[in-house]
Amino acid sequence: MVSIKRVAAVAAVAMAGLTACAGTDSASSAVPGAAPSEGGGSGVLADAPVAAAADILPGSTMEKIKQRGELIVGGSLDAPLLSQQNPATGEVEGFDADLGKALAKYIIGQPKVKIVNSASETREALLSNGTVDVVFQTYTITPERAEQVSFAGPYYSSGLSIAVKKGTTGISSPQDLNGKTVIAGANTPAIPAIKKLAPQAKIITFGGDPECVQALKQDRGVAYVQDETLLVADAKKDPELQVVSKPFTQDPYGIGLKHGDDQFKSFVNDWLKKIQANGVWQGIWKNSLGTVVQGEAPTPPEIGSVPGS
Amino acid sequence: MSALLDHLPEFWQGLVVTLQMTAASFVGAAAVGLVIVAMRVGPVPVLRTVATVYVETLQNLPLLVLLVLAVFGLPEIGLKAGLTTTAIVVIALYEGAYIAEALRSGVNAISSGQGEAARALGLTFGQSLRHVVLPQALRTVVQPIGNIFIALTMNTSLAAAVGVVELTAAANRVNLLEAQPIPIFVGAGLAYAAVAACAGFVTGRLERRLAVAR
Repeated sequence: MVSIKRVAAVAAVAMAGLTACAGTDSASSAVPGAAPSEGGGSGVLADAPVAAAADILPGSTMEKIKQRGELIVGGSLDAPLLSQQNPATGEVEGFDADLGKALAKYIIGQPKVKIVNSASETREALLSNGTVDVVFQTYTITPERAEQVSFAGPYYSSGLSIAVKKGTTGISSPQDLNGKTVIAGANTPAIPAIKKLAPQAKIITFGGDPECVQALKQDRGVAYVQDETLLVADAKKDPELQVVSKPFTQDPYGIGLKHGDDQFKSFVNDWLKKIQANGVWQGIWKNSLGTVVQGEAPTPPEIGSVPGS
Repeated sequence: MSALLDHLPEFWQGLVVTLQMTAASFVGAAAVGLVIVAMRVGPVPVLRTVATVYVETLQNLPLLVLLVLAVFGLPEIGLKAGLTTTAIVVIALYEGAYIAEALRSGVNAISSGQGEAARALGLTFGQSLRHVVLPQALRTVVQPIGNIFIALTMNTSLAAAVGVVELTAAANRVNLLEAQPIPIFVGAGLAYAAVAACAGFVTGRLERRLAVAR
């Protein structure tokens, strides 16, 4: 009996040590969870417009959201610069997250959002069964997806780029990846893009951006393909990384809405036009992606300009 | 449905990796389990303690934590193997703890008179374990070990989180293209169910064939 107690004590100590080490890698994006977010911290949102009462049509999705007093957004909690939960404040910050708050303010009058952690395998289902009102999650507009959901926007256009460990030679374009092992984020458009441009590349995927960077540094692959903005941010944080190509794709991000809700879609498109005209969109960009990308905010893509939007 | 049928090669590839991982890690887990149970029921106090700590540690940590630690932590101290190999080893060590516990319950089911009789005949500890205790113990735990096999099959899907393209990761990739999660993941689920059903069928047959009339 004594030995059991002793063993239990040893095990408990071991456990405490191990869980302390493991504590840093939480938040798998495939696990659904909800994070409350009150918003209102950033000054840009003060200038964000509020819809005229006449625009909130009776019986519409907007009216339902307004009555609820909260916009339910499907998004990430672990995407740096785009939609990342700040562990200190619990606030979700970034380009996608702030746009969500601005949309909430437009409908409700206050930037009140609830972010439901969605993933690329759950987004379509969450929209179609009404769990979330909108999805802001680097949701690339494609004709296949447009059969399942409606897209407002595009609200941003991004592209994939390649990063390597400093000192790697012979990789400067996607074609150079043929025959090599390439790291990509699971559930990112990088996977089909690499398959198309470098069919002989072996792709290995990890859940989040930090894991991918770690894997690149540990030589699990020779290159890491990811959204350029993210790579620039990674390279800025980590001098071992080097971005070696210009963006080689065009990924138009759309706001996912329930399929066939044309009323809500045109309402959201009107909102996008307004915030792009009065500088709120640009301000949100400056606060997030603009902190790592040089220069002024880019010109937003034209709404409805890509197939599927 | 076409989302599923157009991508059968990818699914097949993923299923093959899942089956390879299942087979390799089950063999490893069985070996680990046998060693651990021998230590745990053996007469040497130090080995008993080591085996108990092993079982309690591995059973009480989530497999995903172990996988992430092994894949990203071990290279930091200079230990690096392929992703699939690492995942197989970790799953084998983890499930080995469960197999050891199932085997131990089997050993405990053998009446102590059996062990005493073996000793009275002059068999050493190893001999009595090999010839008397384990053959009887194994028969009583066919079903629990079958269950561990099924759990192990399902647990291989966690390797998707550390870069192994097995069935779950393959389904994820197909979904990325097709945006049809329901048929795609139902398809992957059916493949897992088929593997589990085969395992259940085999253990059922084995159990009946090996049953000892008491």
